[in-house]
Amino acid sequence: MQDKQFMRETLVDGAKAFKEGKMKRRTFLTLCAMTGFSAAASFPGGAEAAADYIVMWNWGGQSEECHGGAIGKPHEAAGGLPLRFDTSGPLQGKIKEMVDSGNVTADVCDADLFDAVALGASGHLEAIDYNVVSKDKTLPNYALDHGVSIILYGYAFVYDTEAYGDNPPNSWADFFDTAKFPGKRSLYKWANGSLEAALMADGVDKDALYPLDMDRALNKIKGMKDDSLYWGSGSEAHSMCVNGEVTMGMVWQNRGRNIEEDTEGRYKLVMNQALAMPGAYIVPKGNPAGREEIMKFIAQAQDPDAQLQLLDCLGMTPSNPAAFDGIPEGQQPYAITSAMNIDGVAFNDPTWWGENGGDAVNAFLEAIS
Amino acid sequence: MSALRRHIHPGWALVAPFLLLVAALYLGPILNILWLSVTDPEPGLGNYQKLFESDSLLRIFWTTIRICLITTVGSVFLGYSIAYAMVHCHEKQKSYMLTLLLVSFWISILVRTFSWLMLLGHRGLVNNALEGMGVIAEPIAFMRNELGVLIGMIHYMIPYAVLPLLVNMQSLDMRVMNASRNLGATGSQTFWRIYLPLTTPGIVASSLLIFILSLGFYVTPAVLGGGKVLMIAEYISVQLLVTLKWGTAAMLAGLMLFGVLAMLYIMSRFMKLSTVFGGSS
Repeated sequence: MQDKQFMRETLVDGAKAFKEGKMKRRTFLTLCAMTGFSAAASFPGGAEAAADYIVMWNWGGQSEECHGGAIGKPHEAAGGLPLRFDTSGPLQGKIKEMVDSGNVTADVCDADLFDAVALGASGHLEAIDYNVVSKDKTLPNYALDHGVSIILYGYAFVYDTEAYGDNPPNSWADFFDTAKFPGKRSLYKWANGSLEAALMADGVDKDALYPLDMDRALNKIKGMKDDSLYWGSGSEAHSMCVNGEVTMGMVWQNRGRNIEEDTEGRYKLVMNQALAMPGAYIVPKGNPAGREEIMKFIAQAQDPDAQLQLLDCLGMTPSNPAAFDGIPEGQQPYAITSAMNIDGVAFNDPTWWGENGGDAVNAFLEAIS
Repeated sequence: MSALRRHIHPGWALVAPFLLLVAALYLGPILNILWLSVTDPEPGLGNYQKLFESDSLLRIFWTTIRICLITTVGSVFLGYSIAYAMVHCHEKQKSYMLTLLLVSFWISILVRTFSWLMLLGHRGLVNNALEGMGVIAEPIAFMRNELGVLIGMIHYMIPYAVLPLLVNMQSLDMRVMNASRNLGATGSQTFWRIYLPLTTPGIVASSLLIFILSLGFYVTPAVLGGGKVLMIAEYISVQLLVTLKWGTAAMLAGLMLFGVLAMLYIMSRFMKLSTVFGGSS
C-alpha cells in the first residue's frame, strides 16, 4: 500500500512536469510503465483530481473496469466528468490524514457506511445532498448524513462438503460448534462480521444484535481460538479454504462463489444468517471536483442498472430495492438481497460500528492474539 | 566532542545548511509524533497510562520482544555459520555464495514471505511430499502460527547477519589463529578462545541491526502468523488506519524509538559503537 502511494505521488509529479512541458512525452510514458499505471488512468490532472475528472478512491482490482462501466460511462454520457481511480485503499486513517493535510485528491471513496459515521462526526466528510441523491434508492437505515450505501457485501461462511457429508452445517451455531463439526475455522481479523457471527452462534436473534454484547461475543471467539485462523484480506480467506487449511471459513459472500468454483463444488457457501454490510460512497471534505458534481455521480450509482452491472461484474449486491427483482437467476444464491436470501440475513448497524468500531477492533485483536 | 570544544572547523559552515535541513525534516515529524502522544485524544499522559491499565498492550510488547530476540539469535547463529564458511572456502565458491546471498537479499519481502506458504503451507511442497511418502498422516502446521513467523523472519534476516560478520571476519589477521595452533591449542580451543572473541564486534553489529529491524516487522507476522501473532508494528498501523487512535499509535511509536535509543546507549557504555558499524576507533 505504501509503495502504491509512493508510485502515485511520483506519477502525479511526473504528470505535472509533463503538463508544463518540462518532461518529454516519452519520458512520462516510460514513468507510467515503470510505476505500473496505464497512462489513461493517470493523464495530467487525472490522478491528482484536478476538476477535469472525478477520482474514485477504492481498492483496485477488477473494480476499476466494473465501476468505470457501470457508473463512470453513464455519468459521463449524462454530461458529467469522466471517472478516474486511485486504488490505494481508502482506510479511515488515510482519509483523515488527507483531509487534515489540506491536500484532498479524491472525490469519492468506496468505503464502509460506518466510516461515514466515524469521519462524519469529526468533520472530515461532505454531507450527502439528499435533494440530488435519493433516500428511497437504498435500504431505509442506510442513507446517513455523510454517506449512502450503494452496494452491500456480506460475511457468510463456506464449509467442506467432504468433511461433513450428510449433516452439513447451516448456521453460525454450527460454525462455532467444533465438537459436532470438528475441524479448523477461519474468521475475519478486523472484528466486524466475526463478532456478530459469534453472538448469533451464542443464541442472539439476528435482529437484536445491536448494541453488541462485546464480552459475550469475545468469550465465544476465545472459546474457539485454538481451532481458528484469522484472515485480513479476501485472497487470504480464499487460500485458506482452497488449500484445505480450514473445514469452515468465514468469507465475503462474493468470494464464496469463487471458492465454490475453484474447489469444483467441494466447498459450499451458506448464506443463512449472513451479515449484510453496507458499502458506502463517502466524500472527503473539500473534494476537488466539487460537491454538486459528486452528488450527481452518487445519484447515478443508485440507478438499478448500474447496481445490477456491479453485481454481475463484482458480485456486490444492490442496495436499491428497485434492483432486487432484477437479480438474475445465477446470482440468486450469492446475492444478499435476493428473494432467496433476504429473509435469512442480519443487517449491520453502521451507527454502532461508527461509534464503537475502534474499541471493538482493539478488543477483538487483543482477544485473538 | 573535545574537538568541537577546542575549535569549530570552518568546514562545518559548509555542511551546516544541510545538517539543519536534515535535522528539521527528521526532528520535526518525530516531535510532532511525540506531541500527538500527549495531546490526542486529550492533553495529558492518558496514552501512557494505558500501558499500566491494559495487560494486552504489555502482552503485545512481550510478543514483539520475544519474537525479535529469537529471530536475532537464530539469524545470527545461521549467519555466523554462513559467513564462516564463506571466509574459509575457495574464492570461486565464495563469490557464488555471495551472489546467492545478495539475490535473496534483493528479493521483495512479500515474495519471500509467500514462498514460505508455498513451501511449508498446509498443502505446500514439504507437507505434500511427506504425506505422499507416508511419513505423516496430517499436514504439519509450520505456517500460520508463531513458528511460521519465526521461520519467515529468520530467513529474511540472514543476509543482514552475514554481511557485517563477513566484513568483520575478513579483516581478521589469520596469523593469530596460526599462532594459537602453533602454541598447541586444538582447533576448537582456537575457535572458542581466539576466533569468537575477535568476531564479537561483528556479532554485536549484526545482532543490533537485526533486533532493531525486527522490531518494525509488519508483513511477515501478518501473513505467516494466521492473525494470532500480533506485533507492535501491525498494532500501530491498525491504530493509525482503522481505529483512528493516533494518540495510542504515537505513544507506542515513541516508546519504540526510545527503546532503540536506550539500547544503543547501553551498548555504547560497553563498547565503541563506531567499531561495530565499521568506523575506525
